[in-house]
Amino acid sequence: MTAAPRPALTGRPSIGRPFLALPAVLFLLAFFVLPLLDNGLRSVVPADGQGLTASRYVQVLTDPFYLDSILQTVLLSGVVTLICALIGYPVAYYLVRHAGRLSSLIIFLLIAPLLTSIIMRTYGWQVLFARRGLINTWLVQDLGLIERPLRVLDTPGLVVASLVHVLVPFMVLSIAAVLQGVDRRLEESAQLLGASPWRTFLSVTLPLSLDGIGTGAILVFMVANGSFVTLVLLGGGLKTLPLLIYQQFNTTRDFGLASAMSTVLLAVALVCLILQLRLVRRSGA
Amino acid sequence: MTPRSGTLSPDAQAEAADLRLEGLEKRYGAALAVARLDLTVGAGSLVALLGPSGCGKTTTLRMIAGFERPDRGRITVAGRDITGLPPHRRGLGMVFQNYSLFPHKTVAENVAFGLRMAGLGRAARDEAVARMLDLVQLGGHADKHPSQLSGGQQQRVALARSLAPNPRVLLLDEPLGALDKNLRESMQFELRRLQQRFAITTVLVTHDQEEALSMSDRVAVMNRGRVLQVGRAAEIYDRPATRFVAEFLGTANILAGTVAEGRFQPACAASPGKAPALLSVRPERIALGPEAEGLENRFEARVVSSAFRGAYAAYQLAVPALGRELYAYRQAGGPLGQLAYAAGDVVQAGWGPEDGVIVEDDS
Repeated sequence: MTAAPRPALTGRPSIGRPFLALPAVLFLLAFFVLPLLDNGLRSVVPADGQGLTASRYVQVLTDPFYLDSILQTVLLSGVVTLICALIGYPVAYYLVRHAGRLSSLIIFLLIAPLLTSIIMRTYGWQVLFARRGLINTWLVQDLGLIERPLRVLDTPGLVVASLVHVLVPFMVLSIAAVLQGVDRRLEESAQLLGASPWRTFLSVTLPLSLDGIGTGAILVFMVANGSFVTLVLLGGGLKTLPLLIYQQFNTTRDFGLASAMSTVLLAVALVCLILQLRLVRRSGA
Repeated sequence: MTPRSGTLSPDAQAEAADLRLEGLEKRYGAALAVARLDLTVGAGSLVALLGPSGCGKTTTLRMIAGFERPDRGRITVAGRDITGLPPHRRGLGMVFQNYSLFPHKTVAENVAFGLRMAGLGRAARDEAVARMLDLVQLGGHADKHPSQLSGGQQQRVALARSLAPNPRVLLLDEPLGALDKNLRESMQFELRRLQQRFAITTVLVTHDQEEALSMSDRVAVMNRGRVLQVGRAAEIYDRPATRFVAEFLGTANILAGTVAEGRFQPACAASPGKAPALLSVRPERIALGPEAEGLENRFEARVVSSAFRGAYAAYQLAVPALGRELYAYRQAGGPLGQLAYAAGDVVQAGWGPEDGVIVEDDS
């Protein structure tokens, strides 16, 4: 081979690369990084604008009221995530393994709740479960099964149900995507080696689909963590961080404290994200 | 499942069982995938199911494994009917073309899987795993994950895994299909060596005739859901029963003609009214030039083209008297790189009565 210098061809595509990413970078800078920095700054600058203070963080992280709120936020998201996984896995399994031609219909039905606006969806729950709502009317008047209407509205249970309702599709689709790639011959190998269908599931199928559960869990957890409208409308006596932040901005008008709480909420979300990634990586690959 | 000794001894003749398929039939809708299949695999022997894709060989294997339910017929191992048993209670071993190792488990955990399912204790398991891995020459790879191994190594792990629980019957589904040619040949020998060492009853499914010929005690040639012929490899090659068998296993010159008084007459010389028949003559049985002298069937032929194929030379011959072309393979003797005949040469081509076989027309 001759040692001729390489043609300059290789240089050409790389010139375009930074330009291709530019719009996205500018957009993120303007609408994500800068506001985030501004928010962070506001949380440490005292009301009189002199110097810096960490007092709001101390308040959020030590005051039992705020600690309880952080705990409620994480707990609510955790419960919603868990229920989504428990409901979503069988659905995803059926979708991938047994649905066949029905699968597009099932996917449509799954996504259908996302097609309606969140306000309509949330009021829908109210119409269903109000004291004189559809279900209580049936149970008390039409069927006479119970004497007094069920108190479902304004309970944490309804908040959880409503969040699961919207978020379960993310879980199902994440799991289904991974399950699709699990080679059925692995399961057949396990069975021939003496594993019953249930043991095959536990020792082969489930470990190999953990990645999908992980992705779904992260998605569901993050969205549940920041959910706001559902909590405002269905309440349930829960005081999650997003609600408190809203109150600080609109009622108390303590922007500094609100900013500090947003930073904490972001940090909580990041910590949970890292923990979940760890968990999935370790048991998955 | 009958309790089986966990600490296996590969050198001891394992209690190999014979496998019988009786009148096995499987339909998919209107299509008949396997039709009335009867096959017996003797204890400790290896039978290859050979055929083109879609001939029903894989369906047959999956019925033996229990992944498909036959519509009719039964499957017995050592006289015990296993037709209705689920796969995990059949006590069989299987190796797939794509290895199918558990990617989330180490090599040792893969091999130990079947032993764990059989309820073997940790110590016995570790010992058996170490022995199996030594047997397939992978002793140093126990703690690696399958993705860190080459294709050949993965296939050896798959083999060790399937043999570890001491199965009664071993099923091989195109086991070497994913390997490259050189590796395939050495793995053929290794697979066969282990199969004979364990003396395990084995069914090999393949579309590769070379694999079937070199690894098996007997070959069953399948087409369109039926077994056309079962026999030793040489037997099938030399005495194919049907036109399909003759053409699928190696190359064959098929001549149409008639049979009268036990003698075959090519179509051109045949008189009408006699039973039509097909004659199969292997290309390497066709003698050329001086070698053809004195042979009973001898024709003048013109070399259309010739090709050097390493171990032999292939000639395409036009034979006016037969109204068709013949293929002939001859040893590539003479000076290096020199073929005995070139395109355009006119030679005598012929074969003796023992070189041709009357085959049934099943095309």
